[in-house]
Amino acid sequence: MPKINLSHFEAAFLFSVFASVVMGITTKKTNPERVNYGAYCFGCFMLALFGIGWVMRLGHG
Amino acid sequence: MAVQSNTASAAQPAATPIGTWLLPVAAAWVIPGAGHFLLKKNGRGALIFGSVVLMFLFGLFMRGMMFTPEKGVDYLTSLINYGGFICNLAAGALYILSAMFGYNQPDMAGAVHDYGTKFLVTAGLLNILAMVDAWEIATGKKD
Repeated sequence: MPKINLSHFEAAFLFSVFASVVMGITTKKTNPERVNYGAYCFGCFMLALFGIGWVMRLGHG
Repeated sequence: MAVQSNTASAAQPAATPIGTWLLPVAAAWVIPGAGHFLLKKNGRGALIFGSVVLMFLFGLFMRGMMFTPEKGVDYLTSLINYGGFICNLAAGALYILSAMFGYNQPDMAGAVHDYGTKFLVTAGLLNILAMVDAWEIATGKKD
């Protein structure tokens, strides 16, 4: 079985994509709502990823 | 009192027979997205299948740990072990096959292993969402 080494960003990006797709599909009732909510979730993941990343970077000194 | 009781029972929606949703929900557990395929929601089924399977495979390739249902040294550890096991099990055939083929990764320090563990658990959690969605479609609560 292959072994892969992803960076923090790559792993978090993939996680965000897969989770956003399923959350968009399962929580809304129409296709436009699903696309919008999936994109919203992905945006929130990315915002948290970069935001918390910068907080840790600045907090570390 | 009798009038009130009748009014209350009339307001409740009739329960959907188990036969209408059991097969799609069971199929959704065994194969991610299969419940949607059975309910003729092929596009959504394909997206769920791709997302859950890829997430699980990435978890395996990153050598994530599978949880075992065992009592820990404290309550929180036991909760994590049992909860993690349930989430792993929720991935259905993916978990069963990987266990059958002897995947047994011990818990190791390292960001990649840790991400892998989270990917394996989240694949199961996403599959639970897909099962609930299949149930809602089968019972007519959702299109």
